[in-house]
Amino acid sequence: MLEKMKELITQYVDVTPEEITEDARLIEDLHFNSYDFMSMLGELEETFDVTVDEQEMTDIRTVGEVMKYIESLQG
Amino acid sequence: MMDKTSVRTLQDLLTEAAASYGDKVYMREKAGKEFADTSFAQLTENCRRVSAFITERTEGRKAHAAMIGLTSAAYLTCYFGTACMGNVSVPLDAQLGAEDLCDHLQRADVEIFFFDKRYAPMLSVIRANCPMIHTYVAMQDMEEEGIFNLSAVLAEYAPAQWTPLDPESCAAIVYTSGTTGKSKGVMLSHRNLIDNTMCQDGESSTEDTTMTILPIHHVYCFTCDILLGLRYGTTTCVNDSMMRIPQNLKLFQPTTLLLVPMIAETIYKKIKAAAATMPDVPIAAIGQGVFGGRLKRIYSGGAYLNPELLKAYREMGFIVCQGYGMTECSPRISTARDDDTNVGDVGTLVNGCTVKIVDGEIWAKSPSVMMGYYKNPEATAEMLTEDGWLRTGDLGYVDEENRVYITGRKKNLIILSNGENVSPEELENKFSGLDWVGDVLVYAEDDGMITAEVFPHPEYLAANSMEAVTEAFKAHVQAINKTMAPAKNIRRLRLRTEDFDKTTSRKIKRTQTTKGEICG
Repeated sequence: MLEKMKELITQYVDVTPEEITEDARLIEDLHFNSYDFMSMLGELEETFDVTVDEQEMTDIRTVGEVMKYIESLQG
Repeated sequence: MMDKTSVRTLQDLLTEAAASYGDKVYMREKAGKEFADTSFAQLTENCRRVSAFITERTEGRKAHAAMIGLTSAAYLTCYFGTACMGNVSVPLDAQLGAEDLCDHLQRADVEIFFFDKRYAPMLSVIRANCPMIHTYVAMQDMEEEGIFNLSAVLAEYAPAQWTPLDPESCAAIVYTSGTTGKSKGVMLSHRNLIDNTMCQDGESSTEDTTMTILPIHHVYCFTCDILLGLRYGTTTCVNDSMMRIPQNLKLFQPTTLLLVPMIAETIYKKIKAAAATMPDVPIAAIGQGVFGGRLKRIYSGGAYLNPELLKAYREMGFIVCQGYGMTECSPRISTARDDDTNVGDVGTLVNGCTVKIVDGEIWAKSPSVMMGYYKNPEATAEMLTEDGWLRTGDLGYVDEENRVYITGRKKNLIILSNGENVSPEELENKFSGLDWVGDVLVYAEDDGMITAEVFPHPEYLAANSMEAVTEAFKAHVQAINKTMAPAKNIRRLRLRTEDFDKTTSRKIKRTQTTKGEICG
């Protein structure tokens, strides 16, 4: 999943795939703005065929946390 | 054709829209895989039913009713049902925490509360803190004692006969961030909102479709998506989530869009990324595809649109109209015309608006300028002169063609690129009353990060290790962030061991010669 995340993230922010680790923080390290982040969530919904709950995303800060959340939705 | 002589209040606007556009779809929402449509006539009739309900609940007395939720026909039914009967609507920020929500409800003297079901968990706190509210109405059905359901109201109440309203009467109280730290309630009259709706011509038509993206409690969205849609007979589709803008653009295929620069920027990044993978396809075609295939016009406001981005959009064949305004002016002061190719300005003054420059600051005067701040004559006097000029707090100038140029902000407000205003004082106040805090300054750094720079109380600093002090501040910032909307979170902490530069009256200077070390 990390590879897919890297592919998606580099479409939104100007970082190299090497900078994208599970510990990377979306806003502080990868320089996402709030709308970039929301758009990427919409794309994750389509890519992984899940329905994301915006409220539950407010505590999520890192790439790893996004992955864990998507995995939890996939059951 | 609606004009200023026939439409003077929101009530006139709804009545005329129902008469002119009848069963045409006004609002289109997603309902699972289907559309839920509301016509102009249906919206107006439902508003009259809500008016009848309110009149019964208040026994004919005029009252204030607040509404919180995402954009929907139900939300507008509550809003207009309130204001068109001579009551006052109080649209609230859907991102407010319970504490601020109660504060806004109390300060606006709200008696009736319309809420989206997702706010139901906050009801117990609101009930405990807002004893003035006697009527709670859920916009979606729920079963709880003492709660009315909007669907039942619409089924049970016959449409009220609206009696003519005074255009000068207050239609809405809209909260805005202020430099004093506490948000202020901007009182907008029917005349204010209608003037801003009617001040330009030919901006849209019955052939147009728009997709509304911005928060409904913002007057920019309310006037330019909702009210202009009613005036021109435009179908207004509702974007159900910021996450799904690209998908919804394809679904609704809007012809016009109201955006803030942050969204325009992100969509452009996607267009560029797609163009890189399809070198043979013209970027204009890719752009059109991303926006659904029918887009003609983009309105941008709320924050400054980077000129390069403006040019890039125009090169793709879109009409881009950048505008400028503020809640206190309902909101438009200037907007670009369709044939405008200029870059660097924020549009031409709208009809009926005049400005003058006083000590570099833009002052505006028009029938759209607010009545004042609710129950806050001091703040009103700071913002409005006795002869009706609005001090915008923006520095700039106007050229001989009435184009407006902004050069800076007089106020301290932090303007995020999504158009949200963050009052530094609001965040600084969260550190007050703690005996281990000396002083604090909140500002946006050059990279846009909201930073809190803190100077611990000297005694606390002397008695504790730097690690302990740092940890205490980090924990406090985390606690503050939990109570604030994500956009207003403090993202960087700077700790200083020397006091701030201060003025003679011991106020911290907002421009400091040295900075504290980053520690979180």
